[in-house]
Amino acid sequence: MKRIGITTTVPAEFIFAAGAAPVDLNNIFVAAADPGGMVERAEADGLPRAVCGWIKGMYGAALSCRLDSVIAVSDGDCSHTRTLMEILGEEGIHAIPFAYPYDRDYGLLKLQMEKLAATLGITFADALAAMRKMDAIREKLHRIDLMTWRDNTVSGFENHRYLVSASDMDGDMERFGKQVDAFIGEARERAALPQKIRLAFIGVPPIFTDIYQFLETRGARVVFNEVQRQFTFPSDTDDLVERYRRYTYPYDIFSRIADIKSEAEKRDVHGIIHYVQSFCHHQMEDVVFRKHLSRLPIMTVEGDGPGPLDARTRLRLESFCEMLAAKRAAKAAS
Amino acid sequence: MKTLGVDVGSRYVKLAAYSGDEPVFAEMADTIAFYTACRTPAGLDLRRLDTFKNRPFDFDRIVSTGYGRYNVKLSGAEVISEIRAHALGATYQTGLSDFTLLDIGGQDTKVIRVRAGEVDDFVMNDKCAAGSGRYLENISRMLGVPPEEMGNHSQNPVELSVTCAIFGESEVIGNIAEGVAIGRICAGANLSVAQRLVALVRRFPSPAYVVTGGVAKNGAVLEFLSQKTGAAMTVPEHPVFNGAIGCALMHTARVQ
Repeated sequence: MKRIGITTTVPAEFIFAAGAAPVDLNNIFVAAADPGGMVERAEADGLPRAVCGWIKGMYGAALSCRLDSVIAVSDGDCSHTRTLMEILGEEGIHAIPFAYPYDRDYGLLKLQMEKLAATLGITFADALAAMRKMDAIREKLHRIDLMTWRDNTVSGFENHRYLVSASDMDGDMERFGKQVDAFIGEARERAALPQKIRLAFIGVPPIFTDIYQFLETRGARVVFNEVQRQFTFPSDTDDLVERYRRYTYPYDIFSRIADIKSEAEKRDVHGIIHYVQSFCHHQMEDVVFRKHLSRLPIMTVEGDGPGPLDARTRLRLESFCEMLAAKRAAKAAS
Repeated sequence: MKTLGVDVGSRYVKLAAYSGDEPVFAEMADTIAFYTACRTPAGLDLRRLDTFKNRPFDFDRIVSTGYGRYNVKLSGAEVISEIRAHALGATYQTGLSDFTLLDIGGQDTKVIRVRAGEVDDFVMNDKCAAGSGRYLENISRMLGVPPEEMGNHSQNPVELSVTCAIFGESEVIGNIAEGVAIGRICAGANLSVAQRLVALVRRFPSPAYVVTGGVAKNGAVLEFLSQKTGAAMTVPEHPVFNGAIGCALMHTARVQ
């Protein structure tokens, strides 16, 4: 089976329809036995220190696993991805560009999908058939999300782990679907988790390995993973193009803000953690988020290389949880 | 009730002891010397500090904060975050309940907004030593100007980088080579610290500003901060011991 790398969420329906396995390079990188080694390799090959850790990790991941090609998001993600695509091309990995049109133009997006279908040798109808299969699993992921915030039986990390995997379904839809079923069965039997503080996690998925677990030791649980949830396509349209138009992450920040506001309200969130990656353009978005999400306390956390939280970030998160607990206690007393 | 507050900072460990509301003593030790003296196989034992050579160690409660707070493994010792400790300390020392606190420590700066005596929000500097006490300490060593004299210089500051502590040092060497007066370089370093802080302080406009940490003893930094914010800076009686005081007094009614 062909293995096609992806640099972020792309319409994986087309890859599955082509009988190939999508491989999200981010997931390969961060779940590797030695993710730090992948970054080191990238830096040893000359990628600058001041470039996002995910890009260097994806570079290392692409070179370490056998791939037939890579679909790289050339518009709707960062410009580093474009250069990564060109560098990987030099290493003999064929890159297929995919562009999310910034203005969400339906016709342009459809054209991108048709181009992708032609490149992979399939039809649009083939992709629609794959979409229906993927949707059966996405529904289960929506269930996990519901169990996270409504039933309180799923941890922030578990929510992250399953939802983030929606981008490539671990490269094997059937096996992933079975894992998800088994997890739901197990989590359904659980009692509600004890953490009283409810957090939203916004921004790109974290490069830290233990942030969710650490928060839970401080009495706080993430009940909303913004971008990871977007990977599961929560909108209910059957129109494949429209679905990728409603997907918030590759477009403007304001649709993300609207999504965050409504989900935070619905999920009774007490505070927001805005995760940013060092040297990433998304860092600048903090200014806009703070302006538009001022109703809730926000803590911005920055990560660089893969691994556990550093002492300083732990201190900040701990203080944030402490502050939220005190606010809740004061509110309850008044 | 006798209480001991311990603030294990990156440069110094601060101890503040109280008997009820009454201060008993406040002392500090170098952090490295503290770890060397107190390390035991079972964890850190405060009793081994010089401070307790001729004093009883008879506290009803011990509360610790700071980077090393979890290492102070003493039975019954409680651990609180630095944010909470500093907010409590400043509330107690100033009697204010609505203010913005700037704690400028050895390696980081915390800006905390306190409303009705509770932490309402806070920010910390990013992962960089520019704008911290350590930066001023390095510059003072390079120039051979004692830290306590650094704060006397605010006139005609030379322009120094505010983006990086290390590059800032090379700029200082460049200035010395060009024959710029030492006082102007000191003023420039003080100004660059204040500039860095103002960006954080502007997030939390407030009716009152309180400054703690070692840099609160630097008059020039305070002067620049006042100039840039247009507000007066209040320095409590014991700015360096503020976190330890917050720890020591967290259980007394007056703070709560």
